[in-house]
Amino acid sequence: MSEFRRQHPVAAIAQLLAVLKQNIVTIIILFFVGSRNSGDYFWYFFGFGILSALVIGFFSWMRFTYRVEGDELQINKGIFVRKKLYLTKDRIQVIDITEGLLQRAFGLVKVEIKSAGSGTESATISAITRREAGELRKILRGESVSVNTDISSEESFETQEPEENTKSWRLSSKDLVLAAFTSGNFGLIASILGAISGQMEEFINEENLNYLAEKLPGYADSTLILWVALFIFIISYIISFIGVIFTYADFKLERNDKEMVITSGLLERKHTTVPYNRIQAVRFVEGVFRQPFGYGMLYVESAGFEQQNKEKSIVLLPFVSKKMLQDFFKDFLPNYHEPKAVITPPERSALRYIRRPAYLLFLAIPIIWFFWEPGWMLFSLLIPAFSFGWLRFNDARLNIDGRVMKLQYRVLARTTAFIQKNRAQVTQLTINPFQRRKKLATIQLTAASGAGGINFSISDLDYDDAMSVYKWSVENKNEYHSEFPSG
Amino acid sequence: MDNLIHSVPDKRIDKNAIKAWRISGFLFGLLFYLVPAIGFFVYMEGGADYWFAVISGWVALFFHLTAFIVVPGVRWRRWHYNVTEMGVDMYRGMFIIKRTMIPINRIQHVDTKQGPVYRKFGLSSIRLSTAATTHEIPALDDGTANHLRDLISTLVRQVKEDV
Repeated sequence: MSEFRRQHPVAAIAQLLAVLKQNIVTIIILFFVGSRNSGDYFWYFFGFGILSALVIGFFSWMRFTYRVEGDELQINKGIFVRKKLYLTKDRIQVIDITEGLLQRAFGLVKVEIKSAGSGTESATISAITRREAGELRKILRGESVSVNTDISSEESFETQEPEENTKSWRLSSKDLVLAAFTSGNFGLIASILGAISGQMEEFINEENLNYLAEKLPGYADSTLILWVALFIFIISYIISFIGVIFTYADFKLERNDKEMVITSGLLERKHTTVPYNRIQAVRFVEGVFRQPFGYGMLYVESAGFEQQNKEKSIVLLPFVSKKMLQDFFKDFLPNYHEPKAVITPPERSALRYIRRPAYLLFLAIPIIWFFWEPGWMLFSLLIPAFSFGWLRFNDARLNIDGRVMKLQYRVLARTTAFIQKNRAQVTQLTINPFQRRKKLATIQLTAASGAGGINFSISDLDYDDAMSVYKWSVENKNEYHSEFPSG
Repeated sequence: MDNLIHSVPDKRIDKNAIKAWRISGFLFGLLFYLVPAIGFFVYMEGGADYWFAVISGWVALFFHLTAFIVVPGVRWRRWHYNVTEMGVDMYRGMFIIKRTMIPINRIQHVDTKQGPVYRKFGLSSIRLSTAATTHEIPALDDGTANHLRDLISTLVRQVKEDV
């Protein structure tokens, strides 16, 4: 690959689709609002938009050339402002290969190469043949010790010759369905739906509501609102269910000596390569609906930029039982394990934990009460708030040994973070005046993730315990000698 | 709290920091008067009560005085740091005490920075960047700052070579 070459022409259309996908909400709203009011003008406008996106797509395809020179990926691009993007092999963090619907139709793939450092955009080659992508990945991942990254075959990215060090993990269809049932991110989708419906005053206005109220006699205003809320809730639950199924269908994780390869997706298949030496931390999140079944989701943090994408972490296992975690670590993440020594917040911080979720209520309820007579009844909310705080107190714990620290804490979902000593970027101790009186301190570790960092913190540990963790981060000793009972 | 004081890192920042922070505190504190100024303007236009401007004026004066009389001294007294071959240890905070440790081999780059007020007093800050965060040790005298910057970068190089 020493000649500069172009992508497959489908890239031009891929860009158009990307633009459409990004603005899908705006387009839907325009469809509803625009097609009704402005008649034909809307279609001219819409057509013009698509046409100009196509033209831009064509020219950017023409300008986009790439090659691999030595161990450097060189990309030239830009219509008006010409850009030369050079990425060296040893800075590359993650390689994503995605087969979108469009790409699949032509036997093509999209390659995204993410490197360390911030402030630059990631190198995306949006349409090349599988063969080229395979070659590209092979070159950029280096002449690996094992040859099982050899993916130059036309057919697939899967391992050709199984080796003793090659292991794989699959998501069973039963687990996939369970994962979809318990995904619980419909809260987010509900808020998006809420935002959209807020913009669609066209439809949700008093006239229509009155009409609905007449159609459904016997429902007072508040019951109607309840029904609407329930409706949005169910819709978003279904959307989230389908979303999980589509994203994680046929999920497969494979490892070799140097990296893990994640393959998943139904319509859009995505291959993510995570090199072992780029993993910054591992995070196990037990969602509220998953914890009762003893399941959760496992993420890895990897440094690199991804400003456009809010989800900086990579999903390593979409649905896994907590019991299996240690076995999984042994097979796939040998650098991580459960450290023995335990540090928990002392009993004197229990009250602080219990009160903390209730602070907002203490502030808000008197104000509501002032304006709304039966507002005092909201004080009953304090009981769940206190219980929640108690849960948080019981969940907070920190395990530590010479190499690995495990931090478990609860925000809403229970998170367990595993971080290797040499990946903890910064350790911070915070003591506020109330903590000082009780000799307590909050410890926070920062690992690199995406363009910035991800913080893991545990509040109200005993000051001496917190201090020993603080010193741990720079200690060179291999074993953590603690006076704490282990187990 | 004894064991806190007992274990703080032993280096302090330059004493001129107090003077420099007085000046910058005084200048920034002027911004507090924006609220009463707007309040007074609205009052002149007949839009609001006289009392709002008066009360917010006193509050602004209080904050302004605190910002340039009280804060610089306390802030200086609380700031401690140390640089060893292990890492950079920082201890600061007026109400909430923050203590931060950056292991030396996590530091990606070091630079020194000097604003107009700092320049007048011959002060510089040191900025340390890791893969995740950026931290600053403020108001060191120029010599110390340059020395520390070079020291840290030498230490970083040593550790990186060891690995």
